[in-house]
Amino acid sequence: MKGQEWYQADTVAEEYEAKRFSRGGRLIDRREKQAVLDAIGPVADKDVLEVACGTGRFTVMLAERGANITGLDISGPMLQQGREKAQATGVDDHVEFMRGDAARLPFPDDHFDTVFAMRFFHLADTPAAFLAEMRRVSKEQVFFDTFNRFSTRSIYNWALPMGSRLYSRWEIDRLLDGAGLELTEANHDWLLPYGFYRKIPNELAASFRSLDTALGGTPLGEKLASVSYWNTHV
Amino acid sequence: MKEDLMEIICCPLDKHDLDLEVTERDDGEILSGQLTCTECSETFPIEDGIPNLLPPDMRDEAPA
Repeated sequence: MKGQEWYQADTVAEEYEAKRFSRGGRLIDRREKQAVLDAIGPVADKDVLEVACGTGRFTVMLAERGANITGLDISGPMLQQGREKAQATGVDDHVEFMRGDAARLPFPDDHFDTVFAMRFFHLADTPAAFLAEMRRVSKEQVFFDTFNRFSTRSIYNWALPMGSRLYSRWEIDRLLDGAGLELTEANHDWLLPYGFYRKIPNELAASFRSLDTALGGTPLGEKLASVSYWNTHV
Repeated sequence: MKEDLMEIICCPLDKHDLDLEVTERDDGEILSGQLTCTECSETFPIEDGIPNLLPPDMRDEAPA
């Protein structure tokens, strides 16, 4: 798994959100949260598992909306951030965090209504095994995002310290087939890749984002989008 | 972790039930203790309120 050690350093965990989601990154955070809410819908009393939950950005948001949610991650320091956030928000009575391996989840078959992972598959060395395991513990829904091959992401991917696994549409179809999942809905976004937004100040980011959404709505824009959100069912 | 988490979790290796042993508790929260698989006897620590259900082969390369 890429970044396995990096994500487990205390300093990385403490600075993670400030670094990733300030400046233009705020737009990314907002869009990702919207993607999760759109796909998972009303979550009150649903049993939800978030794989690779990190600092609990989505875990705590869904707990605030009434989900019974479990957040699993490999990194202890990242989970402590999530735990503190849950306590500060007062949702810690229906949220649980635990360390675990996404390929060997500590849950019985078909346990959760929804299982999801954000910003996870680009780090995955064996995506088929991870997706199959997510499917095993879900009785209804599996939701995840990917970074796309043949997109603006390809241009700078080689320059990133960890690189990212990029997926083509064909690879996604094969992964879903292999895991026994059916596509409910796919959304494609971010003609301009995340790295670009993280570098520019917020005032500028908003204008670029409007342009991005306008162009991204066209058929060509959809093809070149750097991120896809995959909503699937069992 | 809360005690009712025991209803959900199982051994990551063979998916059998786990036994809970509590060392430190604060209100309803279990802060430290140990989980033991009822089948393979593998143990999993609970540290700072977070159960560590990483399989043993991943614990070494992933220090807490």
